Amino acid sequence: MASRMNAPARTDAPAVEVRELVKRYGKVEALRGVDLTVQRGEMFALLGPNGAGKTTLFSILATLRAPTEGAARVLGHDVVADRDTVRRAMGIVFQEPAIEQRLTGRDNLLLMGLFYGLPTQAARERAKVLLEDLELTAAADRPAKNLSGGQRRKLELARALVTDPQILFLDEATVGLDVDARRGFWAQVRGLAAKGRTVFFTTHYMEEAEVADRIALIDHGRIVALDTPQALKTRVGGGVIRLQTEDNARAREWLTEHGLTPEAGGEEIMLVHADPAAVLPELLRTLPVKVQRVEVHEPSLEDVFLKLTGRGLGGEMAAPAGRPGGRNGGAA
Amino acid sequence: MIRGIYAVVVLDLKRFWLDRARLLAGLAQPLLYLFVLGAGIGANSQLGGVDYKRYIFPGVLGLSLLFTATFAAITIVFDRQIGFFKAVLIAPVPRAAIALGKIVAGALQALVQGVVVLPFAPLAGVHLGVGETFALLGAMLLASLTFSAIGLAFAARFSSTTVFPIVSNAVILPMFFLSGALYPLVTAPHWMQLAAHLDPVAYAVDLMRWALHGKFFFKPVLSLAAQAAVIAGLAWESVRVFNRGEDDSSLGATKFNWRR
Repeated sequence: MASRMNAPARTDAPAVEVRELVKRYGKVEALRGVDLTVQRGEMFALLGPNGAGKTTLFSILATLRAPTEGAARVLGHDVVADRDTVRRAMGIVFQEPAIEQRLTGRDNLLLMGLFYGLPTQAARERAKVLLEDLELTAAADRPAKNLSGGQRRKLELARALVTDPQILFLDEATVGLDVDARRGFWAQVRGLAAKGRTVFFTTHYMEEAEVADRIALIDHGRIVALDTPQALKTRVGGGVIRLQTEDNARAREWLTEHGLTPEAGGEEIMLVHADPAAVLPELLRTLPVKVQRVEVHEPSLEDVFLKLTGRGLGGEMAAPAGRPGGRNGGAA
Repeated sequence: MIRGIYAVVVLDLKRFWLDRARLLAGLAQPLLYLFVLGAGIGANSQLGGVDYKRYIFPGVLGLSLLFTATFAAITIVFDRQIGFFKAVLIAPVPRAAIALGKIVAGALQALVQGVVVLPFAPLAGVHLGVGETFALLGAMLLASLTFSAIGLAFAARFSSTTVFPIVSNAVILPMFFLSGALYPLVTAPHWMQLAAHLDPVAYAVDLMRWALHGKFFFKPVLSLAAQAAVIAGLAWESVRVFNRGEDDSSLGATKFNWRR
């Protein structure tokens, strides 16, 4: 069995290259032609509402599913034809735990090293180094089930790093963690990215997406926006006015009649305007519906998504930070 | 391949070690057969000129090995459900290595459980000299591999652990009863002798009895060959079943089902 740890990746190839990717499940088209290029060393976020195709695209890149049409390459290797090469060169943190809960952290890492073909001594060394790097040494000899949520996620990260991968895939890796633990986790990930690794991740937490170099927004199986967080926000325009009124339907109607364009959907009325300060006083005076609450703010990523997709990222996103994640099931 | 097998064995033995208390619990069944059933029946019967307890000792060893090995095999069903194997399946480990590693690991666990029974041999009137012990251990190892292969061949096809007791009652127990573990095959009805020829457990028990008492129903060479054939055949079958999942569009990890 091959014992080489790092695949001989073409160093000039982009980290991820996706061309005209289509995935069908029976008659359902989960991906309808996705094109995407992620550069080496980039921190790249893939966002989208549940059922938008996010998980499908992620799974294809991580060699867990095969595409129906089109091609996907990771570090220059085709995810189908060179699957094992891709697997050796990548690390992946799943949404669900992928450690043996009854074994210690150290044993988990040792075993994963063995499964990747390391000799016992080398696997032991690697486990030790990873535990130190991720500040898990103190907890290393306790069964994984006795660790805190944050420590367990770090252990998952350590497991993904056993092969010293050039690209890391993180699939909603911090769901259910409290704010501190999430911060700790992302600090580690940023450290890894700073060393030149590519990080490709999905998340439901907006502030996590902010750390990305670039964000791709996927909806209905297509990439609908791809840019830096800052550029995406300027797309929304000057500012956002949010209104909660006694009769939102009527208020929307009135706004439309007066030449304004409230965004469709959402529980509140969202109005993007180049200069909110100039228009708001007049608006509040003349609006024939009683306004209960008004809010003006800089556009957030959430606003961008609401504007581009007409819906939020599905439940979790708007939840107060730190609430344990009750995931909305059915992500395709 | 060898490294993959090794990794599976290390994983399973580490988990087995966590459950080492089970070794003691696992003693209950053989001791019950030996000192309750054996003593009860043996009170007024002798078989082939030897005390009944002494006669069934190799059979009871077989019972212990059989149940431990098949129970160990069933962990593959849990492994499909727990996350750790998601990570294992995207490691570049051949599925064949997972199948073979499972067989070896199950056999080692069974062997340990069997060895725990050996100290009770003198109480059953069995004298274990050095030569007998080595011959017996060899026969036990072969039996363990056979039973482990049988266990995995079944377990590889289950997607739920609830089926296990049913299969155990419908297949494993009849194999045990037909094996001649508890009575001599020589004096058994003709149909049972015929059935025993098709029962891998019969060869395994007979070889252990030969190692211990020097008596046999099947020629020892035949017992060796039959078990080797069963191990090879069922290992090949398990590898085939495991490999089938490889072309699965999910490639195993997200929707893990080896049966497709």
